[in-house]
Amino acid sequence: MNKTVLAAIIVVIAMLGFTYVAVGGAGGMGGEGDWVNKLAVLGAVVLVIVTAFVVTKYVRQMQFDRASGKLADENWDGIGEYKNELPFGWAIIFLGLVIWAIWYFLVGYPVNAYSQIGEYNEEVAAHDAKFEAQYANMDDATLKEMGGSIFIVQCAPCHGLQADGMDGKAANLNHRIAEASVKHVIQNGSNNQLLGMEMPMPDRNGLMNANTGALITDAEIDSVAKYVAGGMKGTAGADVFAGVCAACHGPDGKGMDMVAPNIAEFNPTLIANVLKHGKKGVIGQMPAFNNLTDVQVKALGAYVTGLSK
Amino acid sequence: MFHWLEKHPFFFAVAVFVTIAFAGLIEILPNFAEASRPVIGTKPYSTLELAGRHVYIKNSCNACHSQLVRPFKSETDRYGHYSLSGEYAYDRPFLWGSKRTGPDLMRVGNYRTTDWHENHMKDPAAVVPGSIMPAYGWLFKNSADIDTAYAEQVTVNKVFAVPYNAEIPMADGSKSTVKLAATLDEAHADALEEAKVIAADMKDQDVKDAVAAGNIPEIVALIAYLNSLK
Repeated sequence: MNKTVLAAIIVVIAMLGFTYVAVGGAGGMGGEGDWVNKLAVLGAVVLVIVTAFVVTKYVRQMQFDRASGKLADENWDGIGEYKNELPFGWAIIFLGLVIWAIWYFLVGYPVNAYSQIGEYNEEVAAHDAKFEAQYANMDDATLKEMGGSIFIVQCAPCHGLQADGMDGKAANLNHRIAEASVKHVIQNGSNNQLLGMEMPMPDRNGLMNANTGALITDAEIDSVAKYVAGGMKGTAGADVFAGVCAACHGPDGKGMDMVAPNIAEFNPTLIANVLKHGKKGVIGQMPAFNNLTDVQVKALGAYVTGLSK
Repeated sequence: MFHWLEKHPFFFAVAVFVTIAFAGLIEILPNFAEASRPVIGTKPYSTLELAGRHVYIKNSCNACHSQLVRPFKSETDRYGHYSLSGEYAYDRPFLWGSKRTGPDLMRVGNYRTTDWHENHMKDPAAVVPGSIMPAYGWLFKNSADIDTAYAEQVTVNKVFAVPYNAEIPMADGSKSTVKLAATLDEAHADALEEAKVIAADMKDQDVKDAVAAGNIPEIVALIAYLNSLK
């Protein structure tokens, strides 16, 4: 027997033995192993045998094979060339590559090239389509739930998880308006585009009390601020409200279209306008949130409106 | 010449390198130059903003906060449009950061305001429950370094032709100009004017007093910088 074949058989036996020692104990070769283990072991055995066979074949070929075939007529300094046919498989692969190259130059690279931004656009489009399909017709509960989760991400950093404004760091959204805000607005005027357009409210020098026929006084500001912040309840301040504020904000404080915003309660339109334009008041400035989609704005409107009810 | 090169392997290698490097240059550089041109609406920093940027770097804000929004839906939902290379045209150095212990700040000026930053720097946990960011109380006491900021402005204007005192096109079609003061005193005065606008929105009385006295605390410069990140 040839030495190479002998060495191959020894290597196969050694590796099979090694495989058995390594995995046989784990149940691979025994009866109790599951079929995945058995398959893996079988694969290992086949690999070892095939490798040994192939290596042996080529080593023997290098040892004993001699070139054969018809030599070409040309001869370069003693180096000749055989006139062998191109192997059929190579020819097929070569033709296949030519076709692939044409596809790649004309279609593959220019049209189907990968781009990070392209993948991003696809991701966004897919998400938007799924979102629209899923939330096309939301009921009130789902809308509020969505608003609540948007609130946690976008609004809670300033307004707090409880929407209480965290000790005056932002507006307390559990009430329509705070006493300090009412006073500030009366004293300084306001133009926050709460109606979605420029509609400035005058400062105290432009606020006439129809009941007294004079400009609003400090005492009147105090009482009406308490009245508005308290939710338009009771009688204290009601007369001042009727005389000064009601002309624009309506007798019930619910505002009028194109004239003055609702100061009695939140409503989705008001919230949408604040999100669109931002707001600056006694506490500080709130930035505009134009990155939100229409559905998200609607959801936030429903959620925030629900907080004070 | 090629015959000569074939007999001198070292010079042959040099020639190969030069040829390939030249090909690389003409393929890569034009694209690179195009992508790094400022995006429409990208402005150079004003003196106060640049001083705030120095405060940002000095306090290693970039160790925890990145300034790079990647093109993923989850990121653009939270932070806004993904970053473009041209938006960093006037950032020297850029502050992309390598780790987000805190949120990205690339566009923080869009969704946070002066008073929020003031509350947050004083006591981060009071605004963001569970925040592990430390308080930065000394920013309210230390003065911002306007001299260095002005020096940097003059330098980048001279060396890199950063367009100060020149019209810059904005996204809405208008033009905007960022002023480079002619003298250091003028730079101080301009920075103070800018600081007054910020301080008016702040609540800390010491800061207000300092600005009224002509002194600019670091927090004011830092807020000016953060507000400019859009």
